[in-house]
Amino acid sequence: MHVLSILLAACLWAISVQAEEPPAAYLSQLRQRAHEARLADSREWHLLLHYRANLFGGYTSEQDDPGFFLSPDGKTDPQAELDATLAHFFSSELVGRSKQPAQCAFVARYAWLKTQLSFDDALLKPLTCDRFHAWFAGFEAEAVTLIFPSAFMNNPASMFGHTFLRIDQRGQTPQTRILAYTINFAADVPKNEGLAYPVRGIFGGYSGYFSTIPYYLKVQEYRDIENRDIWEYQLNFDEPKIRRLLMHAWELGNASFDYFFFKENCSYHLLSLLEYADPSLHLTEQFSVWTIPADTVRLLAAQPGLVTDTAFRPSRVTLIRRKREHLSVSEHELVMRVVRDAAAAQSDDVRSLPLSRQAFVLDVASDYVRYKGERDEAEAASARAQNRQILTARSLLRIPSEDLPILPFAMQPDVGHRTSRASLGGGWRNNDTFEEVTVRAAYHDLLDPEPGYTPDAQIEVGSLSLRHYNRADQSRIERATLLNVVSLSPIDRLFRSPSWKLNLGMQTIKHGECQLCSNWSVNGGIGASAETHLLRREVFFAFAEVEGNYSRAYEERYRVGGGASVGFYADLAERWRLLASATYLRYALGDRSDDVRWAVGQRYTLAQNWALRLEYSHRDHDNDVLFTVQAFF
Amino acid sequence: MLRQVIVALGVVAVASQAGLAMAANPDTGPGCGLGKLAWADYKNQKNIAPQVMMATTNGTFGSGTFGISSGTSGCTNDGQVMADQKTTMFALLNFENLTQEMAQGKGEHLASLATLMGVPSEQHAAFFAMTQERYTALVQDGETSSVALVKTLNDAVSKSPVLAQAVSR
Repeated sequence: MHVLSILLAACLWAISVQAEEPPAAYLSQLRQRAHEARLADSREWHLLLHYRANLFGGYTSEQDDPGFFLSPDGKTDPQAELDATLAHFFSSELVGRSKQPAQCAFVARYAWLKTQLSFDDALLKPLTCDRFHAWFAGFEAEAVTLIFPSAFMNNPASMFGHTFLRIDQRGQTPQTRILAYTINFAADVPKNEGLAYPVRGIFGGYSGYFSTIPYYLKVQEYRDIENRDIWEYQLNFDEPKIRRLLMHAWELGNASFDYFFFKENCSYHLLSLLEYADPSLHLTEQFSVWTIPADTVRLLAAQPGLVTDTAFRPSRVTLIRRKREHLSVSEHELVMRVVRDAAAAQSDDVRSLPLSRQAFVLDVASDYVRYKGERDEAEAASARAQNRQILTARSLLRIPSEDLPILPFAMQPDVGHRTSRASLGGGWRNNDTFEEVTVRAAYHDLLDPEPGYTPDAQIEVGSLSLRHYNRADQSRIERATLLNVVSLSPIDRLFRSPSWKLNLGMQTIKHGECQLCSNWSVNGGIGASAETHLLRREVFFAFAEVEGNYSRAYEERYRVGGGASVGFYADLAERWRLLASATYLRYALGDRSDDVRWAVGQRYTLAQNWALRLEYSHRDHDNDVLFTVQAFF
Repeated sequence: MLRQVIVALGVVAVASQAGLAMAANPDTGPGCGLGKLAWADYKNQKNIAPQVMMATTNGTFGSGTFGISSGTSGCTNDGQVMADQKTTMFALLNFENLTQEMAQGKGEHLASLATLMGVPSEQHAAFFAMTQERYTALVQDGETSSVALVKTLNDAVSKSPVLAQAVSR
């Protein structure tokens, strides 16, 4: 009886408590405490909601998906969003793209607010979030690695690289790393977008989403198909940071960002994810105009103690080129024979080699046949059949391939120069002297220090040179470059890609009566290149080219013609490079004329971000000597 | 021809600029279920013009993202591979790499497959040797289906005295 009355009293008390303090009262209490603690003004809340300070006060979130906000004003009102978030935690209504209760859709917000406001579990019932827990467990997360696939061979459109994260699994070895999931941010671009792609891309016409693609698919994409070397930077993130990272990544699955090629791209939003994982990192604020993935790698590598380990994963081309260095001349000959005719894999010439050399010859041949198959649709089927034949012969040898350490041809991206450049210098032009200042937005030219950049490739975007001529007492825009691309692909017995170039810009020329005249030009060429190793490394190139000019200096204002150029560059010492070229062009349309040009330039690297240059160029009857100091920033 | 060159060069110009930071980044797979279809777009991709066009069309995928139902077989709602599909999915999506490494008697794809099948790392060498020996049969089965490949591998493991003991432990 006594026990019963106590139970009854307890029940009544519980009911009365509920009656006294309904969710509404507890909610307003929580809101008030959040106000007092100014949580909506805190960095943590701003990182969670991706708020950026506006130019004239106030905040706007970079998130562009209404499903990410629980308040209709959430995008621009951190306080309203916080109040609405607290209210939604009491509700089991499904929110966001993933259609879950707010507590489960926004696990990181919930976890943080719970700590800040010490939620009373009895008054704000915690929900079990099975989907999140299953997803989280699926990672078996132990470490986080930043992955940077470098440039696409021969495709400067990819020269800026890409970044994503790999969530390393417990118990994973270097051999089984490919099983880990990645966290990847990419634009969702419909197929066959064609020329709309760059336009929509630049102006944020696509939505970007986070995804969890297994690393083995990304490795295939970059290593086997696009032939891009991959750099892996393991980050010093402990378990709580990894947990924060995954919780916030889960929340971002509820949303999309408008994708901007230049700034809000893959790398930018990865940085914002890393910042939430470790709020002591200040990353995104370093990028206000554009975010170049290689720059983000340099930024992360520069954070003290953040990067613990760097690994290199070669592309198939790098693999073949390195393996080839270990072949004798006659073995190389054999590889070529097997590549041409897979039946040669079982020929006496192969069989007469020692067993390990037989294996090596067949392995290189197999790699090369796969490379050919990926490269050319017409050859894909026959290459697969050929490879089967080679591999059958290889399997009969019954010995495992030897481990061969594969070294990269390009140094890791974090040792590279920064991507913007300012140059200050002076020189002589004909009978005058001048001072010159140049600023280049991005990215790299053939004379710039090479470490960290894809060799033999140049892409310059947005460069402007101002000169003051002393005797003529004239200041003028000497040169402007909209785009200048050179892609050299040294040809050898295995690899035969064309080299090509494209230049769009303005130079100052002397033509006829006109002494310092602006000349707009567009120039494109296709050709070939080859490398030698007489000193260190030299690359020779030749192009057939077409050019169109527009200038007041010409009688008919324009001229169009064609011609050829040849040249080479050579690394005379580790820090010293020489580049020389000569061009002859004949203009058959418009102002009929011709042009002989040659140029010799050299660069000496002072430090990672400092270089000196001395350049001489001759054009028609114009001679120009320029000495500059260059800083990368 | 000239017109084609000019158009191609124009495309290069635009695409190269567009590539700033974005890079040619054609993620073609949501990561699950699509199998070999995942690479259907990669034809002639090293030729300059198609290559640049590819950079411009750039099938960059967002599907298989965290929050949405991907609707492809073998995936969970939230974009991860279902546990019971992991091995066959891996075998399907890495078939070319796997067969190459089987013939070569080692490699990371083969080691990863062994791990997924529960072969302990100290037995990997035995597993590799077995796949090298049975290369022809495994390739034939794999070309029929990845399920058949994994089944043949499982059978081979269970018939090998050393491996069977190691896996069952």
